[in-house]
Order: sequence, then C-alpha cells, then structure tokens
Amino acid sequence: MAYRLGVDVGGTFTDLFLVSDTDGQRFSVKTPSTPTDPSEGVLTGVKRICEEANVGVGEIQNILHGTTVATNAVLEGKGARVGLITTQGFHQILHLARSQTPGPLAGWVIMIKPDPPALLSDTREAVERLDARGNTITPIDVEQVEGIVKDLIDSGIESLTVGLINSYVNPAHEEQIGEIVERLYPGFPVTLSAHVLPEFREYERTLTACMNSYVRPRVATYIEQLQSSLKDFGATADVNILRSDAGLMTTREAARNPIYGVLSGPSGGVAGALYVAGKAGFDNILTFDMGGTSTDVALCENGEPTIGRDTSIGQFRIKVPSVSVHTVGAGGGSLAHVPELTRALRVGPQSAGADPGPAAYGRGGEEPSVTDANVVLGYLPPKLLGGEMQLDVDAAHAAVQKIADAMGLDSVEQAAEGMIKIVNENMAGALRVVSVQRGHDPRDFALVAYGGAGPLHANSMAELMGSFPVIVPPAPGLLCAIGDLVADFRDEFAQTLISVLDDADPTNVANILDTLGERATQWLDDEGITGIARSVSYVADMRYHRQGYEIPVPVDPVNVRANGLGDLEERFNQLHEQLYGFRMPDTACEIVNLRSVGAGSVPKPELPTGTIGDADASAAIVEEHDIVVEGEKVSAKIYDRAMLNPGASFDGPAVVTEFDATTVVLPGYSARVDEQFNILIDRKS
Amino acid sequence: MATVEKPRIAEIPDIDVDPVTVDIIEGALKSARYEMDAVLFRSAMSPVIREQHDEFPMLTDPQGRMVVGQFGAYINEMMDEWDQGIYPGDVILTSDPFKCSASISHTNDWLVLVPIFYGDELVGWASQFGHQMDCGGPLPGSLPTAAKTIFEEGLIIPPLKIVERGEVQQPVLDLILNNMRLPEMNRADLFAIVAGCRAGEKRVIELCERFGRDVYLATLQKLLDRTYEAMKVLIHAAIPEQPETFEDYIDDDGLGNGPFKMKLTIWREGDHAFFDWSGTDPQSLGPINFYLSEGMFKMFIGVYLIMVNDPQILFNDGFYPLLHVVMPEGSMLRPRFPAALGCRTHALARLFDVLGGALTKEAPELNTASGYGTSPYMLYSGWDDNGEFFYSMEILYGGIPGRPVGDGMDGHSWWPLFENIPTEYLESYYPLRIDGYTTVKDSGGPGFHRGGNGVEKRYVYLEPGEVSIHDDRWLTRPWAALGGWPGGRSSKLLVRADGTEEILPSKIDQVEVAPGDTLVYRTAGGGGWKDRLDRPVDAVERDVSYGLVSREFAKEGYGVVLDDEGKADVAATEKERARQLDERGPAQSFDFGPSLEEVLANCKEETGLEPPVPATPLRWSPLEAGDDALDRVRKGDDVPAPS
Repeated sequence: MAYRLGVDVGGTFTDLFLVSDTDGQRFSVKTPSTPTDPSEGVLTGVKRICEEANVGVGEIQNILHGTTVATNAVLEGKGARVGLITTQGFHQILHLARSQTPGPLAGWVIMIKPDPPALLSDTREAVERLDARGNTITPIDVEQVEGIVKDLIDSGIESLTVGLINSYVNPAHEEQIGEIVERLYPGFPVTLSAHVLPEFREYERTLTACMNSYVRPRVATYIEQLQSSLKDFGATADVNILRSDAGLMTTREAARNPIYGVLSGPSGGVAGALYVAGKAGFDNILTFDMGGTSTDVALCENGEPTIGRDTSIGQFRIKVPSVSVHTVGAGGGSLAHVPELTRALRVGPQSAGADPGPAAYGRGGEEPSVTDANVVLGYLPPKLLGGEMQLDVDAAHAAVQKIADAMGLDSVEQAAEGMIKIVNENMAGALRVVSVQRGHDPRDFALVAYGGAGPLHANSMAELMGSFPVIVPPAPGLLCAIGDLVADFRDEFAQTLISVLDDADPTNVANILDTLGERATQWLDDEGITGIARSVSYVADMRYHRQGYEIPVPVDPVNVRANGLGDLEERFNQLHEQLYGFRMPDTACEIVNLRSVGAGSVPKPELPTGTIGDADASAAIVEEHDIVVEGEKVSAKIYDRAMLNPGASFDGPAVVTEFDATTVVLPGYSARVDEQFNILIDRKS
Repeated sequence: MATVEKPRIAEIPDIDVDPVTVDIIEGALKSARYEMDAVLFRSAMSPVIREQHDEFPMLTDPQGRMVVGQFGAYINEMMDEWDQGIYPGDVILTSDPFKCSASISHTNDWLVLVPIFYGDELVGWASQFGHQMDCGGPLPGSLPTAAKTIFEEGLIIPPLKIVERGEVQQPVLDLILNNMRLPEMNRADLFAIVAGCRAGEKRVIELCERFGRDVYLATLQKLLDRTYEAMKVLIHAAIPEQPETFEDYIDDDGLGNGPFKMKLTIWREGDHAFFDWSGTDPQSLGPINFYLSEGMFKMFIGVYLIMVNDPQILFNDGFYPLLHVVMPEGSMLRPRFPAALGCRTHALARLFDVLGGALTKEAPELNTASGYGTSPYMLYSGWDDNGEFFYSMEILYGGIPGRPVGDGMDGHSWWPLFENIPTEYLESYYPLRIDGYTTVKDSGGPGFHRGGNGVEKRYVYLEPGEVSIHDDRWLTRPWAALGGWPGGRSSKLLVRADGTEEILPSKIDQVEVAPGDTLVYRTAGGGGWKDRLDRPVDAVERDVSYGLVSREFAKEGYGVVLDDEGKADVAATEKERARQLDERGPAQSFDFGPSLEEVLANCKEETGLEPPVPATPLRWSPLEAGDDALDRVRKGDDVPAPS
C-alpha cells in the first residue's frame, strides 16, 4: 500500500495526517512540538501514526512538510552569523536600510532598530561595478575578493551572502565571487542575491539574501536530522517542504534557499482551507486563522491563493513569493488594557503568551485576555469536551472585572463584550486589508475559520464583513497538515526587464519568456515531474512608467510572438482600475519583471464524506448553557461535534465543542453539516 | 434643477455612545487613514510621494475639525471665503499657502479636499496633500534657493474645483498642467491623491451606514473630547508655569543673509499653555520662511507630548482650545505675502529642535539632543543624449540625535515614514551613478547614547545638466544634551572629472555639471545624549569595529583608548576619561559647540565658504512687536492676562 503523510510543525502542536493513495483511508495524530529539535516531535508523531494506522513506515512514499524552523530562527534571533559582500561604497546597505522611522511625528524618539542579519563588522566591499544595464564598469578584482573572502570566513562567519549593485540585470559578478568562494572553501554556504531574488531594489534583495543565509544552516541541520532519524526508523519516503507560496520544494532546495519556506506554516493553512472549501463548493474564500497571539488572514479567488512578493518577518520586510497572508497581533491570548490618560479600551498587541496564559487557564495569569472574555460570555464552556482542561471561570471574571472597573462599566459582561468587539474590529481591519483595499468585495467570499480561536469568532467576523457562509472544517487544527498534502510542486524563475511597453520588442520578450520557461521545464525534469501533472505559466510584473509598485499580469509567449504586446497593456489597465479605481490611458505602461512559474501537481487526498441524513441534531446536544449576546443572557445549546452527522442542522444561539476548537453560532444564524462534515453557518433564512 | 448654495452641514447630536463603540469607530477611522495612504502610495508616480511618502491624509467632522490625520484641520478657515457651493462629487484643489491659512506651506504641496455626503448632509471631509516633484516656475522642482517672492516658486493654484459634481474641469486642469514640466506626473499624482481621498470618503459613509449617522457623529465629538481631556493632563505635566526659553539658528537664506534665529518661550496659565515665538527673526528675503499654520503647530505639540503616553490614540483637533500660539506678523513663521516659501524644511526641522529644547525640563522622556536638522535635497535635471528632459529630486537623511531609549540612528529620517530612493531606481531612470552611499564616520556627536552619523552619498553625473542643493547645519552644529557633544556639520564637495575640487554652499541652484563630475554630499550628524565619558566601553568598541567611529575619535570623544585588537585598554581608558573629566568639569544641559561669534569668525577657514551677513529688514514687512502679538492672541482666543 502507498501512503502519503502531511506533517505540520506548529508552535504548540505537531499535526500529522496520513492518507492511503489506494483506498483513501485517513488517520491523524496530534503530538506536542519539541522546539529545541523539532525533528523529535515529528518522529514521535510518525511512530504514533504508523502504530495507530497499523502501517509500516516503509509504506509511506511521501512526507510533505510545513515547518516554522526558518521563521522561528528569525523571530528568536537565533540564526547563523552571516557575512556579506557588497559593491564598493555600499557596505552600510543593511545598516542604512530604507532610512525609515515610524510614525507618528517624533516616532524616532521611541524607535528600536533591530540588528540586521549581517553585522557591519561582518560586511566587506568588493572592488567591482556594473551599470544599470549590466555592463561592466569595474571588473572584479580577483585578488582583492580572495582577500575579503578569506578574511570573512576565517573570522568565523557561518554563511555568506553576495549582494552587488545591479546584479538583478546581470548576475555575472555575483556568480564569479560565488566561484571564488567555492574554489577557496568548497561547500561553504553562499547565497547570491540575484539567484534568490533577481529583482531590482538593492536593499530588499540584499536583505532577503542575507535572511536566507541567516536561516540556512539551521534549516539545513534540521532537515538533515529529520531525514537521518526517519531513515533510522526505516522510512524511505521522499521528504518535501512547503514553500511560502503554498508550493512544494525538495529538501535539497529547502536546505539551499530556505527563505522560500519562511512562511510555510501560514501557507499550509491557506492551502488546506482552499482545498476543504473547494470540496464544499466555495472557490472564493477569506481564510481566518486565529491563534493565541496573532491572526492570519488571506484572500483566495477562483480556487487560487493570492500570491504576493512582499512579506515581513519581525521588523524586516523581505521579498519572496508568498501567499499574501496579513497578520495582526490579535489572538485568544491578547491582553486588554485601559491607558490611564485616555481611558480607551485597547486590546493587544501584548499577549498572555503560553506562560502563564489567560487567567482562565488557572496557571497564575491575572491579566484579562480575549479568552477570558470568551469564558465570561459563555462562548467557551467551562468544561472543554474532549480536552483535559477545566477552565477557571472565577479567575476569568476577576481578570475582566479590572477592565469594567477601569472603564466605569456596570458589569463584567459589558467589559467582556467590549473586548471581543475591539479584537473583532482589529481582525476585521486585517480582512479589509486583503479584500477591500485590494479591490475585492468581501460579500462575494465565504469565510473559512481555523486555528485555536478562529471558529469562536468566525460568526462575528462574517457578520462584520458580510462574508457567508462561515465554513468550519472538521478538526480545524489539522488544516495545515491537509494543506501540506494538497500542495503542488512550484518554483518561479524571474528576470528583470525594465522597459516601456511601446519600446519593448515582442520577440525579445517572448525569447526571455521562453528561456525562463526552459528553466522551469528543466526544473520539472530535475524533480522528476512528468506528463499531465506538469505545467508552466508566465507572468509579467507591470506598472505605469516610473510607478513604484508592480501588478502581476498573466502573459503567454506564443501569443506575444504572434500578436505583440497590445492586449497586455489593456489587461494591465483593467487590473489597475480594479485595484486602485482608475487608469491612466495617456501614460506608458512598462514591464519590470518577467517570470515563469513551473508547477507539478500531486494527487489530492479524499476527505471523509458521509451521506446527507436526518436534519435533527438534537442527539448531539450535551447540555444547555447561558451565553451573553449584545448584553442579553440567552440560553444556548451545546453540541458535541463528533455526534453531528451530514445533514444535521440547528439554529443559534449554539456552541459546538470538539477536541481542539469551539464554534459559536450566534442568534439569528443557523448551522448545517455538509457531506464533508464541515459546519456551514449562514444567516437564518 | 434647483441648486443649493450651501450644503446642509450635519449637526452633531448630543447623545450617549457606549465607550466600546467609540473605540471601535476610532479603530475603523485609523484603518481608513492608512487605507488612504496605501491607495496613494501604490498609484502615485513621483518617487517623492511613492518611495519617500511625502504626503498627508486627513478625515474631518462636519465642521472641518480633524478626527484623524497628521496635520490639524484647515477646512474651516478655507471655507470661510468659499463661494462656489459644495456638492457631492466635488473635488477642491489648491497650492496657495496664503489662501488656506498655511495648511500647506509651499506651492509644491497640492492639497485636495473631498466633501463627504451621507444622504444630503455633509458629514465630513476627506483631504490629502502631496509634494509635487515640479509645479512650474523658472527652475525644475520649483524650489529656487534664490527666490525672493512666491511668484518665482511655480504656479500658485487658488482653491478651485478641479472636479465639479463628478465632472473633471478639463480646461482648468489643462491650464494647470500646461505650466508643469512633467504634466503626466502631476496628473497621475493629483488623481492618486483624489483616489486616496475617495477611499477615506467610502469608509466614512460605511461607518454612517453601520453605526447610524447619529452614533457616528456623536462618536466624533467623544473622540475630540477624549483628546481634550488627555491633553489637559499632559499640559499640566509637561509645561512649566514659569516661562522657559530656547533658541537656535538656521544658517542662511540662500542669498548670503544669516544666521536666522528661531526663539520660543513656553509657559502655562492654569489649563492653558502658551507658545510664544516673539524674538524670532523677521522674515527672510530668501525662501527659507516657514509660513506656519497655527493648527499644524498645535498638532506638532500634541503629537510630541502624547507619543510616549498612548501611541495608539487617534490624534485629532480636540485639544486645540487649550493651546495658544503667538507668532508675530512679519516673522519667519508668519511672513507676509508675497514672501518666498519654497525651502521651508530647514525651519520646519529647527522648529522641532527648539520645541524639544524648550520642553526638555518638564518632560524628561522626550529629552533628546538635536539631529541633522533639515531635509537635504539633491535635484538634477537636463536633456539626455536622446534630447529627452530628465529631472530627479531626492531627499537625503542624516544623524538622528541620541535619545533616552538609545543611540540615534545613522542616516535615518527624522520625519516619519520617509524612505530613501533605491540606488538601482536612480541608476535605471536617470543618467546618474551612485559611487557610494554610506555614513560619515565620526559625524555622530559622542554621548552616553551616541548621535547618529550623517549620510555621505557620492553622485556621478553622466549627462550634462544642472544641480540644485538644499541643506543646512553647515555652519551651526546640531546641539547635544546633558554632557554629549554636538553632531558634525554638513558639506558639499564637487569633484570635476579632471580632479579639480569645488566646495559648494548648502543652498544653491543651477550648478552646471558635466559627465564624470562627482558630488560628494554629506549631511550633518546628530548630537549626543548624556555624558559621553560614561558611554559603555563595549559600545565604543563596537562602533569602531563597525567603522562608524574612528580609533582616534574613540579617544577624543569618549576617552576610550583601544589596543591593536580593537579592545579597550582599561587602565589607559580610565586615565584618559579622568583627565578629560577634570578638564571639562560637570556636564552642561546643552552644548551648541563654539559660540556664534567664533563660528562666524572661523567660517571661511573651517568650511571654505564665506560667512553669511546679518539680514536687512524688509521695508514691505515690518515685524510686529511681541507684546502686540501676544495681546492679539489673548483677545482672539479669549484668554485674558492673569491679573
């Protein structure tokens, strides 16, 4: 039998999802993550799932893996010591950054500037220079470069970046320096900026390349450990890693360019949400992943995630293809406070964290968190079904009472509702960023809720955004692991070509696209992806002449060769109007980058389904319980999700509990269970 | 169809709004403001707006009071004189500082107003202004350093409707764009600003729909009240009853006159705070006047005070009645028409230096030194070998001062959210090569927290053209606080292709350059904060290993003696620090460097440039006496002198 295994390593839990390619059988396991060596937790999980499924580890053909090793290395400041070689005159490139200070006025007074991934003392200048067209002004001084390479590597750096001015047009000088390093120190990890990000803007490219160097040794070590312990356990499976753009890459690629996987966690969730929603018949979705300290949201249209090129990790803005996930510092652990000066209610970004956690967890937390507010309002029942945890209702009340006192409110419930409304508004702000700010009407989208707290807040979020139905997949915690399983192989190849459309030679554009397409094809060959599973598509990043931001426009080299670039202009104008509300017909358009995207699809796992049965859900009711909605106490039925079968439907107010999530259905809304066991919440008809 | 001359301005109902709703609307307005920014950044064309973010959004209540934004409201004062009616779909444009109470302070800023109607009532305004790369006049950039009147600073657009009830007023737009060097860029940026305002308009209408008109409007009043109450507390904490005075200088006006003094005295009477600029020099002939909007200055004060207390607050006009600003007519800050205003960034930055200095005693958490003190510009224009006109304009940055939370950043912007222009952008669009972009070693003033280094940018010009420079702090130094040293001064060196060198002044236009000429542009550093002899030794070691401070300066400025490995020699350092301490005595509150007399006497020798000479007062704009100005404000604001 052939099995495939999705593994998602999160902050708290490692989730595994095993499917049989032959008979569609599925198994899942949740095991604590082991942050010091995450491969331990993975191995524990693999052993357990093999046992529970009674599957020999040798029968697993593919392990598909989303990991936060790279992200955590950055957030915890525990990456490698990185050396950087720049063009002469630019050694302070990371130190100067973009010169920015935060708002408001005088924001510089309190700004804390983080150390860049390569320190100034580990930065050297190479004697060389290319102009903006890629012509050599000063050739590489080999002897000088050998000197600085030796100086840096002998000083103890663990990883090296080469980031030269104008290398996006012509990578020759960077490649030459890379060869010098390889000659002097064979196998030493070197990242060339033009290879990681062949796009203009030297700071962002150099930073991205340095971030790659920064996380590279740690990711490489992790992958090595994982593979060797899996091998020791008898596994023969190929391991593939999820990229930030929800594509898969090989472990070899992940060890070389780990920066492409820096947001692999959130992208797995989006891929899983998209798959589950697609099965339920919804191709346009907003994803809503609310965890303990932050919430990730994304927009997917026509069954595809929005792929962006800018993302931030901590305070650093890096540019790699990523699912456009917008993150806000609002989660179940977010703490409320009332500044004395303004007596306004603020929620987050401070969080109760894992330790001590919310007051309701009874581990000594005393500050009011969003979870505590949910307990006060009854949205989180004191006894969580399937969970070992008993919530401390009194502690939650005491914590939230502080807010009621500080604001002079009459009741603790009022304060709790206030906290929930504020945190919902913050999260709605994030959903607006990915929808309305990018020209989409959120009412055309369904909302897929997951993460520990997502299903608790999803009904309210949908109400704020007008996004219905709410889809709560079964075992929302497993969605990332499912996402790992459904992801396709994906890689991008890019070339900057700054050219006004009228001046661009269609043949030249088509030739560049063909070359990029060949690279994508070569890559697919190397990955062993053949036949109908493979595809290559093309994109031109375009903008109005001298505008600062580009819009990706799909392009076809065959069409360009036959019909020129005319319709590219029209399609760009249309997209610009959709995004920004106007077009500039008298202004020239220009191409900035051309890209090819290679994709290799993998077979998708079947999800459990049932036949639609009785609408009566009363058998799943375990108890009744008061919840507070808009200041009113109402009695809500509590349902056990494990007993809700396809076809079951019920009205709010209701609370549905399961092992790793609680779903709230508000008054005025009704819920039904579809064939895939999703709960769909909609306005009561 | 009957036309309505005056719009129905919504009245704010006096109803209770629960505090949580207030906070929710506050958050939504904040998002709306950032959405206005986002729309503009993404669709603007000029790098000044798009890459450097020189733009300012605002939303107001029906009466024109700012409820979210960066600058105070100006709509009321503008609308007093307005006689063209206001209708849904209108867009008002102006670039005339003298016709909008200085809400914009030079003709490059194009200010757009969009009335927001809900039903048939005016419920607010969305407004935004952005810096145009060029707005006509004799020189590209429209900021001639030698301008003597505003008429030399490009087209002056009085408040007018550029869009009337949704219809673009094409002849007016054509007339305006016909006067611009880069009409497509002006057009794009104008409509990007309008698109930003429309985004704000849309959000306000949504809030009216979601919460109801009454709740929305009543909330605006609650938000204004909240700021009023908060500022009352801060004013008591930060403003002394006894007058405090601080003064500082702008080096010259670009015409050889200077230095120009800016002087501020602050005091408090009960809940009311006074900010009195009497003693500030008369308006200059050159374009360094900063026609200061009273509302804008109040906003500066408010933001400055509140920033460390509740940074999440939605800043608004609510506290304006508590502050009283005295600016004598005919002074640099209230120049009379037709004063030249183009290069007001020096005075804008100095205003913050002086305000910070005056507030320092009562607000220690805001107590910093002073920074590079201006917005240094480099402009380059000409015709390339294809006969195409090119024009680039760039703002540079410098040393941020030493601060209570840490060292000043090297080569960063004192103005929020501004960014530098990528070298690869400059090189792909302009006939320029950047031969180096780094910071000036040792230009940061020593201190317990070091001042930031200034920037050094080396421009190699590849086509014949003309260069303009705007900078300051080439003569006077960015001052230090509490035992630091001042920051280093700015300089400009033009190295011709044949190797000959020319020292250029800090404000100059029409410098002819030829292919291969290199401009070495150095901006000033930031002053140091607290005792430089107490700076942790390992911080000095690190700065030297980073190449930000030289070994020699480590000893001279910090008393740290380094060995050959770059590690401090502990005994030698102790001895050196003791020696310097003995020589210096106790730390001074402020260190401005040598006295103005000395600075002027040594000017030629130290800078290679002739010293400026004291300005002759302008016959057409006599300076109002300080007492008269104070009386005027007391009457106007109804705050009589205490008996």
